[in-house]
Amino acid sequence: MLVVVPANERTFIEEMKNYNFPEARSLKLKEVMGYDRRRLVEPGVCASDMAVFGLQNLFDRGLLKPDEIDALLLITQSPDYFMPATSNIIQGRLGLKQGMLCLDINQACAGFVIGLIQAFMLLEQESVRKVVLINADVLSRKTSPKDRNIYPLVGDAAAITVIERDAQDSVIHATLKMDGSRNDALMIPAGGLRLPCSAETAVLEDVGDNNLRAKDHLRMDGSAIFNFVQTEIPPLIQGLLDHVGVSMDAVDYFLCHQPNRFMLQKLADKMKVPHSKMPNNVVERFGNSSGSTIPMAIALNIAEKVTDGQILACLAGFGGGLTWAAMLMRLGGWKFCEIIDYPNQAK
Amino acid sequence: MNEFLKKLAEILEVGEVNETDKLKAFPQWDSLAVLSVIAMLDANYGVNLRAADFGPVNSAADLWTLVQSKKRV
Repeated sequence: MLVVVPANERTFIEEMKNYNFPEARSLKLKEVMGYDRRRLVEPGVCASDMAVFGLQNLFDRGLLKPDEIDALLLITQSPDYFMPATSNIIQGRLGLKQGMLCLDINQACAGFVIGLIQAFMLLEQESVRKVVLINADVLSRKTSPKDRNIYPLVGDAAAITVIERDAQDSVIHATLKMDGSRNDALMIPAGGLRLPCSAETAVLEDVGDNNLRAKDHLRMDGSAIFNFVQTEIPPLIQGLLDHVGVSMDAVDYFLCHQPNRFMLQKLADKMKVPHSKMPNNVVERFGNSSGSTIPMAIALNIAEKVTDGQILACLAGFGGGLTWAAMLMRLGGWKFCEIIDYPNQAK
Repeated sequence: MNEFLKKLAEILEVGEVNETDKLKAFPQWDSLAVLSVIAMLDANYGVNLRAADFGPVNSAADLWTLVQSKKRV
C-alpha cells in the first residue's frame, strides 16, 4: 500500500480568517474537532496526477511491475473528465498493457471497503492475478474556502493498494449497506446534467449559518452525518462480528474512515472500544480525503504491524450515498506501507 | 435536569445556564455548539437530534422537553 499526499500543506490557523465566525469560536472548532494541518493539491492537479505519480514510484522501486496489473480500479468522486474514465487515463499515461480492466467507481468515504470487495471478486477470475485499487480524490477543488462547515476538514490524497491472492486463501467477511434516500446529506448539487455548472451555480450563497458556498461546491449536512455514523456504524460492526463469531476484544484495530477526530472518538465511545484501537489522527495531519483515509490511518499508525507482523482488523467506511460498509480481515505480510509526497509544481 | 443544564453550560463555556435562558441568544450558539449538544444528547440520553430539530427550540427548558419526548418514543 502506498499513499500519495500533496506536499502543499495548509494550517487551520492561516485559513481561519476566511471564515465568517469569531476567531474564538473557530479556535474552539479546531480544538473540538481536532483540525490542524491538511494537504491540498495545487491548482490544476487532478486525481490521475497523484495516481500516476504513485504508480510510477512503485515501478521505479521494483515494488510493482507494470505488466502484472490485470485490473485497475479507481474509486473517485472527482474524476479528471466526465468521459473517458480516469482509470483509462491512468492506464494510457503509464503505457500499461491492453489486456486489462480499467474501471472507475463513483463512491465516497466508504470507497476503500467497496473497492476491496470489488477487487476480491475480480480475483476470483483465473485471469486476474493482481488488482490495483486506487482511491483518489481532489475534493478540496470542489469546496468553498468560506464554508467552515467542511473546508477545514477536506484534504486530497491518492492511496494505491496492490491486491493479490494469498497462499492460504483466507476467508474475508464483509457487510455493506446503502441508503440512496439520504443522498442529499453529502452532495455536489451542480456540475452533472441535472444542474450543469453555470455562472449562477458558481455564485457564493449565504446558506444561513454564516457559511458561504455555491451550488458547484460540496455540501455536507454535518449533524445528519454525525447521527448517521452514531446510529448505523456500531450495529453494522457488531452484526459483522456476531456473524463471524469474533468478539470486539479480539479485534486488534478498528480502522475507520476518518471524518474527523471528534466523530471517531464519539464512535469509539459508543462502541466501548478504547481510543487506542481506533486511530483518529488522519484529519489533524492530512485532512479527510474521502476513500483514501483508511489506507492513511494504516500507513500513519500501524505500518510496521502490517509489514512485519499480523493483526486482526475491522475496517469500516461510511459516507456519501449514503453508503456504509465493514470488513473483518487479517492484515500482515505486506511488501510496503508508506506515505509519500506529491511534489509541488510536479505537474 | 440540573445535570443537563450543567452540560449545556460546559458546551457554551459559561458559568451556568438557566431553564429560561434563550439558547440562540448565546454568542457561542453556532453550528459547532449545536453539534456538541447533539453529541452530548446522544452519549448521555440516547437521543439523536438533527440540527433542523432545533428550529422550534428557544429556551433550555424547551430542549429538555424535546429530549424527554424523544426518549419516550
